Amino acid sequence: MKFSLLQLFLLYFLTGISYAETNRVHSGLKSLVTLKAKNADLKTILKDIEKQAQISFSYQKDVLTSEEKINAEFSNETVENALEKLLTPRNISYQVLKSNHLILTKKVSHTDTQGAVEQSTKVKSTDRSITGKVTDEKGEGLPGVSILIKGSQQGTLSDINGAYALQVPENNAVLVFSFVGYVTQEVSADAQAIVNVILDSDEKALEELVVVGYGTQKKTSVTAAVTSMKGSEIASVPITNLSNGLGGRMSGIIFKQGSGEPGRDASNIYIRGISTTGNSAPLLIVDDIPRAFQDLDPNSVESITVLKDAAAVAPYGVAGANGVILVTTKRGKTGAPSLSYNGYVGFQNPTVLTEYPSSYEFAQLQNAASANEGLPPMYSDDVLQKYLNGSDPDKYPNTSPWSMINRNTILTNHNLEISGGTDRLKYYGGIGYQHEAGLFGATHQNRFNVNLTMDAQVTKTTKVSLSLKGREQYNSYPSETTDRIFITITNAKPTWTQIYQNGLPGALLAGMVNSDGYRKVTTSQIFSQLSVEQEIPFIEGLKVKGNIAFDPTSTFNKNWLKPVKVYTLDTTTNQYNLALAERPKAELNQSYKRATQLTFQGSLNYNRTFGKNTIGFLALYESKANDEYTMGALRRNFGLDIDELSMGSSTQSDINNSGSSISARQMGVVYRLQYDYNGKYLFEASGRYDGSYYFAPDRRYGFFPAFSAGWRISEEDFFKNNIHWVDNLKLRASYGEVGALAGLPFQYLSTYSVYGPSYVLGGNAVQGIRERAESNPNITWERAKKTDIGLEFTLLKGLLNMEIDYFSERRGNMLTSPTAVVPAEYGIGLSQENAAEMKNQGIDLSASTGYKVSKDLYLSLGGNLTFAKNTLLKVFETSATFDNPNRRVTGRALGTQFGYQSLGYFQLDDFDDSGNLKSGIATQPWGKVRPGDIRYQDSNGDGRIDPNDMVVTGKPNIPQLIYGINPGATYKNFTVDLLFQGAARSNLGLNNYAVWAFAGGTLPVRQNLDYWTPENPNALNPRITNAPTTNNTQTSSHWMRNSRYLRLKNIMVSYSIPTVVLEKVKIQSARIFVSGQNLLTWTPMVNYDPETVVTSGLNYPQQKVISFGANIMF
Amino acid sequence: MRKTINSIYKKALLLCLLSGFSGCNNFLDVTPADQVSDNNAWTSTNNADMFLNDVYNSLEGYFNTNDPDENFSDNAMRGSSSGYSFATYGKASYDPSSVRDDWTPNYTKIRKCNLFIEKVSASSLSDSWKVQRIAEARFLRAYFYHILWMKYGGVPIITETLDRNTQGDEIFRARNSADETFQFLIDESTAIAADLPVKPESGRASKGAALTLKGWCELYQASPLRNPSNDKGKWAAAAATNKQVMDLNAYDLFPDFETLFFEENNNNIEVIFDKAYLGGTTLGASREGLHGAWFVGGTQRAWSAPNPTQEIVDSYFMANGLPITDPASGYNPQKPYDNRDKRFYQSIIYDGCMWLGHEMEMWLGSGSRNTLDLSSANEATNTGYYLRKGLNPKYESVSGNLMLSSAHYILFRYAEVLLSYAEAQNEAAGPDASVYEAVNKVRARSELPALKAGLSQEQMKQAIAQERRVELAFEERRWYDLLRLKIAEDKINGQFHAMKIEKANGVKKYEVILAPNGDRVFKADKNYVLPIPQGVIDKNSKIEQNPNY
Repeated sequence: MKFSLLQLFLLYFLTGISYAETNRVHSGLKSLVTLKAKNADLKTILKDIEKQAQISFSYQKDVLTSEEKINAEFSNETVENALEKLLTPRNISYQVLKSNHLILTKKVSHTDTQGAVEQSTKVKSTDRSITGKVTDEKGEGLPGVSILIKGSQQGTLSDINGAYALQVPENNAVLVFSFVGYVTQEVSADAQAIVNVILDSDEKALEELVVVGYGTQKKTSVTAAVTSMKGSEIASVPITNLSNGLGGRMSGIIFKQGSGEPGRDASNIYIRGISTTGNSAPLLIVDDIPRAFQDLDPNSVESITVLKDAAAVAPYGVAGANGVILVTTKRGKTGAPSLSYNGYVGFQNPTVLTEYPSSYEFAQLQNAASANEGLPPMYSDDVLQKYLNGSDPDKYPNTSPWSMINRNTILTNHNLEISGGTDRLKYYGGIGYQHEAGLFGATHQNRFNVNLTMDAQVTKTTKVSLSLKGREQYNSYPSETTDRIFITITNAKPTWTQIYQNGLPGALLAGMVNSDGYRKVTTSQIFSQLSVEQEIPFIEGLKVKGNIAFDPTSTFNKNWLKPVKVYTLDTTTNQYNLALAERPKAELNQSYKRATQLTFQGSLNYNRTFGKNTIGFLALYESKANDEYTMGALRRNFGLDIDELSMGSSTQSDINNSGSSISARQMGVVYRLQYDYNGKYLFEASGRYDGSYYFAPDRRYGFFPAFSAGWRISEEDFFKNNIHWVDNLKLRASYGEVGALAGLPFQYLSTYSVYGPSYVLGGNAVQGIRERAESNPNITWERAKKTDIGLEFTLLKGLLNMEIDYFSERRGNMLTSPTAVVPAEYGIGLSQENAAEMKNQGIDLSASTGYKVSKDLYLSLGGNLTFAKNTLLKVFETSATFDNPNRRVTGRALGTQFGYQSLGYFQLDDFDDSGNLKSGIATQPWGKVRPGDIRYQDSNGDGRIDPNDMVVTGKPNIPQLIYGINPGATYKNFTVDLLFQGAARSNLGLNNYAVWAFAGGTLPVRQNLDYWTPENPNALNPRITNAPTTNNTQTSSHWMRNSRYLRLKNIMVSYSIPTVVLEKVKIQSARIFVSGQNLLTWTPMVNYDPETVVTSGLNYPQQKVISFGANIMF
Repeated sequence: MRKTINSIYKKALLLCLLSGFSGCNNFLDVTPADQVSDNNAWTSTNNADMFLNDVYNSLEGYFNTNDPDENFSDNAMRGSSSGYSFATYGKASYDPSSVRDDWTPNYTKIRKCNLFIEKVSASSLSDSWKVQRIAEARFLRAYFYHILWMKYGGVPIITETLDRNTQGDEIFRARNSADETFQFLIDESTAIAADLPVKPESGRASKGAALTLKGWCELYQASPLRNPSNDKGKWAAAAATNKQVMDLNAYDLFPDFETLFFEENNNNIEVIFDKAYLGGTTLGASREGLHGAWFVGGTQRAWSAPNPTQEIVDSYFMANGLPITDPASGYNPQKPYDNRDKRFYQSIIYDGCMWLGHEMEMWLGSGSRNTLDLSSANEATNTGYYLRKGLNPKYESVSGNLMLSSAHYILFRYAEVLLSYAEAQNEAAGPDASVYEAVNKVRARSELPALKAGLSQEQMKQAIAQERRVELAFEERRWYDLLRLKIAEDKINGQFHAMKIEKANGVKKYEVILAPNGDRVFKADKNYVLPIPQGVIDKNSKIEQNPNY
């Protein structure tokens, strides 16, 4: 009894079934049993069957005398079949008395039936012996595989190591190897004495099915551009947010993970890049329902599919234009209950930390800056010396702000799941826990995920599915915002003492990090779903399905802001004086948000093959209602430091309450028609008639159709007969229109918005109303026209798989300011119009190959690439930029960066003796320039620098190219998987704290030590000044950085523990692994992670993680 | 049994489908919870009031920012070398494409006033309510126009809500002349003064506010910038209007200059018009956190946004009422902070003064973070001074924009009316008794002796100017005074001064030096008005740019 809890759980499910069964099934023989016995005696096995099937056996003592140890495995076998296999070879027969009572007797004849299981039966002299081993794709022995001689009842089961031995007739026998979860294989035994068989897992067969919008399709007959990956690929990768697992693993995904902060580290994902000036986020679907997938337990994900072209996204109508990410979660699989554990513990460190100068370097730099401006040095040589030699660390410290952060912070994830079921009822349950700590004391995240699903075949034609996913997440942060802490970091001079030797905080950063205030967010979320699918018996192939999902989410925020304690050392008395920064007394800010989503889907699905014609039809109605309300309360000036709302001050001005509510509605009707001729010519038409509350009643509905076709050239006879090295070749194309919500809801309404508090009259706060921008009753959807041409092929018996797509999209109806101009004196914003246009095109491709070098060594290589480049075709632009070809936004990619072109620095030679610029050099308007200031290009040659001289200085910040390379190797029990992921064609224009020395009086970065002097004319930075000069802080190519990168996104080394070892501890399979995330990054970016989107350097860096884990199946 | 279950499922499914479909008609009708329609906005005084509340809210509390306009003048400068005042305004480096747009926001506010006036006029709300509220809206509109007028000169006078659908190209208006704009301001404030109560609910415009606005515009119009021929009639008009305010007998000087600006004394007898704040809400004021001394007692307390210059410090009288330039004043450059005008101690934090229980140290080598910032490297003072005026010690413990204070920001107060009257009357009629009376009343509050009798008109002018500078320092009046008096080209061009203090043998040595980063530029040929932002001209070709931009 290994797992009594598990068995209870099982029993609960199974008794449920058997009760249902006895009501309907007249014979216990039809009951299904699932069991796995190793070295058990027959008696025990029968007892198990009795229990499971609610039947009882009666027999005389002498019937079951044999002491033989039997290995047997049944999953969802009928009692009838099980008994056939168990009893027949042992010459035992049975009789049914009542439906649930059986009597076992010994057979009289010993010779009529050939035994199977063990060698105890007599062997015919003409038979020969075959032995062998059944393994899975990874070479591990598969126990319990049924091996039958085709056309007979003879057979055996493989043992714990997958080995088997069988007597076969002399004539050529065909062996049938079958095992649940694997593809059944027939092997002709010929004359061999050893027949080794590798069974392909059925998952691979399942993979041939692709999840598409509101359904699944056979991979071979898909005519749309879709990519998918298995959840198991990232289940053990140390990432906390699922969105961070897709990049580099799937083609068509452009992404950016801007932050590594726990709970705020989700990637922005753009499917095939950005095609709109509006919202470019893709639609996220979990199990058919629009939902965020990012915080699901990675272990609970079965597959992730990305829908890319019009044909794929058309069923989502108004929400699909930016692409769709479909996540399918795990459900129970027929088979014996399997319990598995997957977990890891990892340690995180920032990928990069900004380098700051030491106190000595800092003081020197400050002195150099003062000297440049003819001011006296701030630090005397004596003081400099003390900073250098560290002789008086209390008064002359050398501190780094990074001394205040946590390192080697923990990241751990544990998941336990159970899955199993019979044909009638399948179940899956999983529970996950994740914990991640952060850079600052209070920062961490705890997440609990629970997943339960049940699929019941209630009648022959009715299927009911239930699922419930719960998430409870706790996030904690310091009371000061992360931005504020990073600003304070840029302010933390190395000459300041952060922590005194007695442990007291001596500067604001230390005070903030050590404060016991906090910002906590508790999120509780439930995804609940019930679906009923009914086959219509009188029309073959027709199904009706209803699907209801109710998803409530509650978010509770509690922000306890305490005065930040900072101590100052009074050097005369050597006393530490407490000072309170940020606020005099504690403050509590709480808010509660409850959001619900109710989705209903009703569909008709018809699928039938008539000869060579296969017809599919889907009609679906969907409605979705979102409602949300929030409440907030604030109290200031807490007398006592008790973080309860009612403990705050009761003075009216110390109290603030707020509340609001939002509703949203959408509904649509979806259709899909498929026609497949002989698996060769494929046609599909799909679309959606959709409506949204965003727009005026007569603009609410839109129709979005798409068409696609596929031609499986490899199925043509002329091809099949001539070209043998191509296994599969498919050409497909699609075209369609999809929509996207434009702007904000209610832009069609002419209303005043109410807000408060608006003003103080008579000493009291009063509310106000104001006009919104002019309304536009005509406002409506964005429309995207998408074209896709794809080629899929498999060569050399699966050695090379490749899929390549060219795509092109033209997005119209995007909202933009109208070209009609009103004077500034008009006094109100004009409504936007659906007028802007944009183009986006590119390619995405994925390829994979695998090669078995030897019996023990298997090598694989996968790769994918996405290139997407957009162009603004029509946007609102003033004549100032439009008329200047250098500055024109129209015709360029969205987010193209403009600025002055730096020509390097003014050098001594550029000035005459009186320090004025020599004639012929364009004047720069930002104060007097000196040698070492940045010189800008006079693009229009008018002798002066002004905005008309600006040119393109950088590509958009979102990379146009993303690629992933995924080599892997398996040697015996070891597997190594690597993922290199790169991005290119992107720029980041840095400013402020990130690059300018002493910007806003802050700490320079260490790179600022390389500044212009006559002796260092090609320095990294302009001449050093006590504050960045207006001239040198213009947006220019000087501060533009190339943010391309290539990183070793993940490396995983795993070892499968041999079954010989596991057998002893009664474990089915076990794998241990070491994984590294973001271990190496190659990039021209310095000081900041190349994925950052923050230009001023206030960036919580991404994390690199090393983790250790295990995956165990009991 | 099985059949029944089956048919129940089927019926349920069908029901689901049908109920879903039948909801189509109005399923998508959602009414936003945070909006009101045009229909009910103007049917009750309560709703209509909310519209005007929003307009009141758009009054600018200029001084409640981290780079107040006072930093444009010679009274103060930014302590760190960043910000608009330093980089753009201070260097007069603005041009049409880089200047801050103060044009568009004011026209947004003006549209609101126009809309309110139109909608309320057309409504069936009670007449008595309408008369007062429309007068308030017209006052606010005039107030916004007077800012445009001071900044840009003549501007298009628009008194109806523009509508591109009905007016077509009529929405593009040319600039009215500066004189026409002035006349509009005078006509409006004259007209509404009769409709406004003398003592309305606090926060609302009053008769006194309308007259003070008028008097100030007249003073501006009479000053050298707009009155190069020195037409005495203009001065007389300004004197008369300011006298009208005095004759309302509704205002007096608040006895204590220091606490006059504190929230405890909101709405006191001296206040004519103010912008109201409510601490602890988004409507709170943050002057203490933004403007106070950087470090106090070793802790950062505020952002020291304005650093008072040596120029303003030198303007404060001695306690005996004499300017420090007067040899009889007894001013000792090595004891510069002794025996000064009470307002000096109430307005300026200087080396050696006590502030929040700590001695402030700006002398070089003190080890204090407030040490004069010779390299202009951080927010430590660049001049040797921090601001004190109007900062309530109650809120001086925390830095930044925390909006804790309820202190109203005074836009018009009685002392200014007295000084404006004195200035105008002295120009129009010479230093008569009423001039002495008005100036001395202001001096008396700060315990300065009365002005010596028998001053010449010019001497009186100088005395009033210095009195005005000191009394209204850090109230965002100085910049406009520099403009209207046409003295900006003298006062702004060059470099401000700072006080450098060093200790030798325990004795502090005082030396006035050039303030780090205190260099300023003012171009007399064009900077008396701002350039009109290029974006404004791009959208309306009828708008002509100001000269020399």
